[in-house]
Amino acid sequence: MLNHFYKKTCQGAVLAAVLCSGFAHADVSISEGWLRAVPPVSPTMAGYLTVTNNGASSVKIMGASSEVAGHTMLHSMKTLEDGTRKMGHLHHIMLEPGESFSLSPGGDHLMLMKLQRVPQPGESVTVCLMPAEGDAICADLPVLRERPSAF
Amino acid sequence: MGKLLYVLPLLVALMLAGCGKQESDLPVNTRLGGDFTLTDQNGAPFQAEKLKGKVSILFFGYTHCPDICPAVLAQVAQVYRHLEEEGVADQVQPVFITFDPERDTEAHLKEYLPWFKADMIGLTGSLEQIREVAKQYGVVFIKDQEAGEQGYLFTHSDYIYLLDEQARVRKLYPADFKIDEVVTDVESLL
Repeated sequence: MLNHFYKKTCQGAVLAAVLCSGFAHADVSISEGWLRAVPPVSPTMAGYLTVTNNGASSVKIMGASSEVAGHTMLHSMKTLEDGTRKMGHLHHIMLEPGESFSLSPGGDHLMLMKLQRVPQPGESVTVCLMPAEGDAICADLPVLRERPSAF
Repeated sequence: MGKLLYVLPLLVALMLAGCGKQESDLPVNTRLGGDFTLTDQNGAPFQAEKLKGKVSILFFGYTHCPDICPAVLAQVAQVYRHLEEEGVADQVQPVFITFDPERDTEAHLKEYLPWFKADMIGLTGSLEQIREVAKQYGVVFIKDQEAGEQGYLFTHSDYIYLLDEQARVRKLYPADFKIDEVVTDVESLL
């Protein structure tokens, strides 16, 4: 009985948190997302998307995950003074209310590593962004050979 | 009949102009390029001399690169497909040179490159050989000291080189080059 009460209370608490605190990040959206198709022997692949904070409070994205990758990272891409390009770990993305952040080819991007399988063109893959607080923000991203002209 | 007399010479002149090969106005870059010997994806020695006779689209990269290199490979493949539609792809050779011979072995390149469907030649070799070719083309590649979970990455330059039928560099493009521009330039060299 106590166990049942506890369970119900917790469910209620979670629901309240979701509805009242914005922890579920219903106001954060992912758009223009896609994964670049790569050969089946590739150990990594890159993903791109735009994440927008439509809510009233700031959101800090700490990382990412994907169903096909053992490890997914936010990657930064910097052009150095000599014109070379350097990749590194993008530790977080801070989104103030109304702000968007784009991960795009040749720039900051998602890097999917330790691929359990390499999804091919025509497939969709669920990719999630992990905020500092609250639930993951997920979207199904199509696997495409080329960048859509609309993006 | 009178009109035909006027039009006929014009038509003949146009036909003759079409027969003559127009010289491309792309300048020859004499500072980049040169002889080299590497190994292709079939394990055969490959000398720069073999680039002669076709227009080449040559670029450097590594297959463990998640973003720029697959993007360049895909774009070069797009260029190749355009040229196939124009019926001139057999006169064009895309060439990928890795600067990561440790992981990009001949066998790996042989498995990796056909997916792009662009009849690409993949070249690898000893680090010494690759450094020499990179120097000839002004390519910078630096292996990052800190290997993350993804393994090591490279900081690198990412130009694409258009070579004429004499293997002379005629133009450089950035990694996000325009497909139509390269197609037009290639056709100007054929």
